[in-house]
This record gives sequence, C-alpha cells and structure tokens, in this order.
Amino acid sequence: MIVNAFLLGVIALSSLVAGVFFLKFWRQTHDSLFLSFGIAFLIEAANRIVTLQDARMNEGNPWHYLVRLIAFIIILAAILRKNYEASR
Amino acid sequence: MAAAVYILGAVTSLLCGVLLLRGYFGARKKLLLWSAICFIGLALSNFLVFVDLVVLPNVDLYFWRLLTAVLAMLALLWGLIWEGEA
Amino acid sequence: MPEPNTPSGEVDQFILEQIDSVPHLEALLLIWRTRPKSWSINEMAKSLYVPAELAENILRDLAQRNLIEEVTKSPREYHYLSSRDQDRLIALVDTTYRRELIRISRMIHARAPSALREFARAFRFTREKDKEKE
Repeated sequence: MIVNAFLLGVIALSSLVAGVFFLKFWRQTHDSLFLSFGIAFLIEAANRIVTLQDARMNEGNPWHYLVRLIAFIIILAAILRKNYEASR
Repeated sequence: MAAAVYILGAVTSLLCGVLLLRGYFGARKKLLLWSAICFIGLALSNFLVFVDLVVLPNVDLYFWRLLTAVLAMLALLWGLIWEGEA
Repeated sequence: MPEPNTPSGEVDQFILEQIDSVPHLEALLLIWRTRPKSWSINEMAKSLYVPAELAENILRDLAQRNLIEEVTKSPREYHYLSSRDQDRLIALVDTTYRRELIRISRMIHARAPSALREFARAFRFTREKDKEKE
C-alpha cells in the first residue's frame, strides 16, 4: 500500500515538473504545442494528487478518467492544430 | 466508458511516442528519444489500466500500472533535464 | 501558403523552421547559386571554412529536409533539389539574406535550441515539403 502511494507521489511530482518544463519551453519558443503539453501534464499531476485520497479502486472513478480524457484531448487537439497550421 | 478513455489514452500516447521516435531517427536529438520512451511507457500504463479493468478483473495490476508510469516519467525527466537545451 | 505573406515573412518562417544555423544557410545558398553543381563534403568544408565533420552534418541535415539531394554515394556529393515552389522560395531567401544579413543572422542566433524545434517538428504528420499542394 505504502509502495503504491509512494509511486503515485512520484508520478504526481514528475508530471508537475514535466509540466513546468513544457511551460518554460512554451515561453522560449512561443509554440503553443508546448503550452498544451504543459497543461496536460499539470492536469495529470493534479489528477494523481486527488487520487491519493481514494487510494484504491480509483481508476474506475468517473472523475478520474474524465479528467484524464481532458488531458488527452488537449494533446490531440494541439497535434491536429499544428498540422492544420502547417498545411494552410 | 472508463475502458474507452484508457484505450484512447493509450492510443494518444502511442501516437506521440511513434511521432517522436520518427523525429528522433530523423534529427538525432536525444530529447525526442527520451520523450518517445516516456509516451510509449505511458501508453503501456494506460493499456494496463484497460487490462486491469476489463480483461483481467480478478488480477490486481495496480502496482504494475503505477510502475510503468513511474519509469516513463523518470525517462522524460531525464531527457528534459539533460537534453532540454540545444 | 502562410499568411501574412510578405516576402520577408515567408523567408523568415522558412529560415526559422528549416535552417539550423548560419553555416547551414550559407551552405544551402552556396549550393543554390552554383546549381546544378555537385558538392563534396571536403569542397563544402573548404568553402565554409569549417571542419569536414561539421560540413558533413550540415549537408546531411539539408538533405534530410529535402533541400538538397545526395547524388553519389562515395565520394558523397550533393546537389540542389529543384522544384518550382522551392526554387522561388530559395531565390527569395538568397536576395533577402544578401540584403539583411545582420538581421537574419541575429534571428537565427536568437531562437530556441534545436532540440525543442525538432520536438515540435516531430508532430507534423507530413514532414516533407508539400510540393504538389496549392
């Protein structure tokens, strides 16, 4: 149990840090792709942290997977947007 | 519904991983390699959630889901820290 | 075509996206101006006053972006890869660079590290230039 909580914490913190890195990249490049990745990872970090309260049987929780869905959609939208702009 | 989301997540992550791998073989920037490893690992992690919920509901894969995600994120952090510039 | 389509806007965008460094740009323009001459790695190294290894990387990068193409395997030689749209663009780049060398060099040096640009570029589904479109 403790190991799982620990791993969850590691994922949460790494997602947070990754999110911040991507925000930094967005500031450097002005490419909104990095902003989208940053937001997606920050959302996932928050999602994991909230999960800690539920500990187990959390991934079936609608709130948990709906938030994750939002993160994926943000990334997919960013990729599609990049390709749409490239071919305009 | 939950299963569909995790499959979508696995597919999205896999797509990112494949695009980044392709980019790595083209441009040889290590950031892309580490990022690709991360997204493929996250795809695996999401897929394991699907397996855990749907395919093998009587087997607990929670630890493995978390472990794959941890390794994936650590790979990404490694890449971001060491290869995040030039 | 990207808009706004001022000539310098199009040139800047091309340079920001496809050109990794000032030597890359110089190499490309050298190959463009002398087309259809084939350049070897050593010839390019001499002309640019850079080590052969750097010249090799530059030529490989330009070929990977379909700006030039490899003609012979050994010794490796490259020449300009022509297409109507690209010719027009490179001609524009050439005149713009001659006119605004300092601004363009500064622009190249000021932008984000290439790992990030390659990361962003990786998410383009079609990585080759669309020669047929429009």
